[in-house]
Amino acid sequence: MIVANILHRPMRTFVSVVAVAIQVTLVLLVVGITTWMRVDSAKRQEGIGADIMFRPPNAQLLWLTGAPMSVKFKEVLERVEGVKVAAPVLIQTTTSGGLSQIFGIDLPSYSALSGGFNYLRGGPFEEALDVLVDDLHARNNKLRVGDQIDVLNHKFRVCGIVEHGKGARVFVPLATLQDLMGAVDKTSVFYIKAKDPNETDAVVQRIKAIPELRDYSVISIKEYLSQITNATIPALNTFIDVMIFIACLIGFLVIYLSMYTTITERTREIGILKSLGASKLFIVDAILREALLLTILGILLGLGFTFLAKRVITTTLPTLSVLITTAWVVRASLLAVLAGVLGGFYPSLRAASQDPIAALSYE
Amino acid sequence: MKIILETKAVTKVYRAGKVDVLALRGIDLRAHQGEFVAIMGPSGCGKSTLLHILGGLTTPTSGEVWIDGVNVSALSDAARTRVRRDKIGFVFQRFNLLPTMTAQGNLEIARHIHGNGSGAMQLQSSQEVLRVLGLEHKLRSKPLEMSGGEQQRVALARAVINRPSILLADEPTGNLDSENSQLVLKMLQELNTKFTQTIILITHNPEVAAVAHRLVEMRDGRIVDRAQDVSYTAVEESFL
Ligand SMILES: Nc1ncnc2c1ncn2[C@@H]1O[C@H](COP(=O)(O)OP(=O)(O)OP(=O)(O)O)[C@@H](O)[C@H]1O
Ligand SMILES: [Mg+2]
Repeated sequence: MIVANILHRPMRTFVSVVAVAIQVTLVLLVVGITTWMRVDSAKRQEGIGADIMFRPPNAQLLWLTGAPMSVKFKEVLERVEGVKVAAPVLIQTTTSGGLSQIFGIDLPSYSALSGGFNYLRGGPFEEALDVLVDDLHARNNKLRVGDQIDVLNHKFRVCGIVEHGKGARVFVPLATLQDLMGAVDKTSVFYIKAKDPNETDAVVQRIKAIPELRDYSVISIKEYLSQITNATIPALNTFIDVMIFIACLIGFLVIYLSMYTTITERTREIGILKSLGASKLFIVDAILREALLLTILGILLGLGFTFLAKRVITTTLPTLSVLITTAWVVRASLLAVLAGVLGGFYPSLRAASQDPIAALSYE
Repeated sequence: MKIILETKAVTKVYRAGKVDVLALRGIDLRAHQGEFVAIMGPSGCGKSTLLHILGGLTTPTSGEVWIDGVNVSALSDAARTRVRRDKIGFVFQRFNLLPTMTAQGNLEIARHIHGNGSGAMQLQSSQEVLRVLGLEHKLRSKPLEMSGGEQQRVALARAVINRPSILLADEPTGNLDSENSQLVLKMLQELNTKFTQTIILITHNPEVAAVAHRLVEMRDGRIVDRAQDVSYTAVEESFL
């Protein structure tokens, strides 16, 4: 009966199924993209190769930007026992072409952190207005070595393309960025490499013990990464929650409307079922099953949409991907089921409580 | 033979806006098991209302309805639904088959609601019933693909497939030509004689009424002229 019913109005079934599919896709994409961005950013932080991060007082956890520290701390930090190198990085956040960061680096010290860039094309900075980009950024913007690009309203020459995964996607010489930002001898952060990674915690303690650095923030990269969750990004969780809520609302409303029109259209049939002795529970059950079937079809279609969308995103935007976890597939499906069952609930109750005689004489 | 159906001073008042319509004004009716009762009367005299009350689709305003020894009028809505499911079969003038389902599907849903038999058994018996009715070839047809006569025969099969104690038929031949009417009537008679199926049938057609053991005439929400019915006592005696 249920299958016959949903086949009876193919267009309505189709619209309901697509709406549920959109709900599922929306949830998985929103969560998948934000999670991927977080994981990717953490990976790139890790890829820098540093063991310790040294930041100005009251540093924001995530977006380091601006130039509040003197590069002179480099000497102080490198005098600490167990420190191999302290690399100053000046960070500028830009909104051109999406939110991203430009690292102003001192190439020798920055390279010492991870063992250096892997140059896929070209080589290190030669001029002040040289820029290094990672391969994904290059692919995204179709860049080749020697191309001119705009960075902070200045023309830069792409001197090399490096393998991705070491901090930012765009690097310029520290001095150049200091000039452009009007921040001579300033830096946003020091990335510190310990001589022995196992000594990291001890080194952190030693830096903390230096009186003149008392107010500064010293944290091991390991601890820093463990602190980055979606919750640490301001308003991100709220954004995700709102999107999920809207998605569920779409599913709920469409199933509600679909089932409501269905039971109105089938008033007589409900009267017939009642004349055959069908209980209220029987009718509630039949309507809810139908809502559930629509929802399940929608979930399956939605999963298809999601993987399709993921493919499209990763092939067109190399710097972006979607992280789809089993846990979120299950959660998105359960949310859809919940929305579907709730959407079908009132119509089912209404159908069950119809007066059989009035229903039988309904035209 | 035991009394399977009895009403005691049943009244029904419909409230239409500010006016009260007295559809039934005190109905006392009895039927024995295996009896075939025809109800006749002018339009609007309350025949359908009475049938709906007998089948528990609605409740009387006052009075009692006893089905197979149970005072149905005292039951909750859910319990009344169960009595309808277990003991009543309905046939309507408008056939009332489920339009999205096949003939077989219509029979199966009745079985399913009744909750007897496993799937395979249901299928088999549904096919058997349709074969007996000469509707074997319509097994997979939907109502719109069947003639009125075929639809009504399927509806009749659906009404009796769970072996109800009482079959209630509201002008079952009202929408049929004489040939199909005859077919349906013959089936009713057969059900009555072969399976001692109790039948309460509403009709406007005296020929149809003539098939019954007993004729009950209604007027203005009351039963009239029972004593005048010659065959009444004879039938009553034959059941005692
Ligand atoms: N839901 C209702 N609300 C108000 N009045 C109603 C309702 N149903 C029936 N009536 C009235 O009750 C009376 C009896 O109606 P009922 O349908 O029982 O008559 P009937 O004998 O079956 O007529 P017919 O032979 O035309 O089918 C009529 O006057 C009718 O108008
Ligand atoms: Mg009537």
